Amino acid sequence: MPGATLFFSTLMADEAKTIARGLQRRDPDLLDRLIEQYQYRLFRYLVYVTGNKERAEDFFQETWIRVLERGHQYDGKSKFEAWLFAIARHLVIDWQRSKKAQSLETLTDPEQEHPLQLVNESEPSPLHQVLSNETEETVLASLQKIPAIYREVLVLRFQEELQIDEMAGVLSIPVSTVKSRLYRGLQALRGALPGGAAS
Amino acid sequence: MSENIHQRALQLIAQARLEGMPETDAAWLRAHLETCDSCAAHARQTDRSLRALRSVAIPLPDGLARRTQFRVRLRAQELREREPKRRALWFACGVSWIFGGVSAPYVWSLFQLLGARAGLPKFVWEIGFGLWWTIPALFVVAVLLMEKVRQGDEPAWMR
Repeated sequence: MPGATLFFSTLMADEAKTIARGLQRRDPDLLDRLIEQYQYRLFRYLVYVTGNKERAEDFFQETWIRVLERGHQYDGKSKFEAWLFAIARHLVIDWQRSKKAQSLETLTDPEQEHPLQLVNESEPSPLHQVLSNETEETVLASLQKIPAIYREVLVLRFQEELQIDEMAGVLSIPVSTVKSRLYRGLQALRGALPGGAAS
Repeated sequence: MSENIHQRALQLIAQARLEGMPETDAAWLRAHLETCDSCAAHARQTDRSLRALRSVAIPLPDGLARRTQFRVRLRAQELREREPKRRALWFACGVSWIFGGVSAPYVWSLFQLLGARAGLPKFVWEIGFGLWWTIPALFVVAVLLMEKVRQGDEPAWMR
């Protein structure tokens, strides 16, 4: 087992280095491949962060433009997806700042008593519209009850399967804060799902 | 059973799913869950919640990747076209610095000579020399600032 783990980690490190070299050269074929490869994960993450499909599409495209422009800054030492999500997240934060002159952190952190409602509660949620599958509606509705910063860490951990230290890199926060958000997020998720709080 | 034991069990249930835990704690938790229905239900509910979270699928908009690839290729072309201009600009700046450095003693003598002929006080032609020396540097600073404004401030997270 350790041999297999070593093999896969070496393989991933090699892949990251290959991506870094390709981004240095602004290799168009590599970028095409990366866009294909990460389209679903990036779009899903952006939908969760922005709560809006159209906005997520815009940020999706902007993220890849940034990847092209700043690709030389990726050194291949970390997972490419962690770097990609960090770019996407900061584009959203910049947009939030320009829109409301406040950071996403401040807006979303319920510990700072400034809970952010990414979507207007009185309107049908775009996030809800995105997920039309009936079997998923309950989960979606539950996710919407969770504050954005907790939803984000849950998505990064359990959908994107990032490690805690990688999440700290994406979110630009200490590992201890990531853990604290994860614990609270898990609690919130359990509480939000029907029957979760009762058991 | 004491409340503390249940609290510990709930804490370990979360820890196991979020960051893993040592085998001794895992063994303790397994033993506890076999005897405590409430905590076992909590563990099952937590697993259900996480499975549900993992199962959510978001439909991808049609042609998103294709449209993005097109935009990225266009931008790449733009950047490629701009590259020679940027190189030429830096080359000109470099040449200007070298020329300025090499010619400084001669220009100083020239200013001194012209100042003496015109009967100007020393500090006047010295200021003139200073300005002559500063203008290329100011030009470079202006170019760099314009470049920075064009690219936008580079945040720390990008590095």
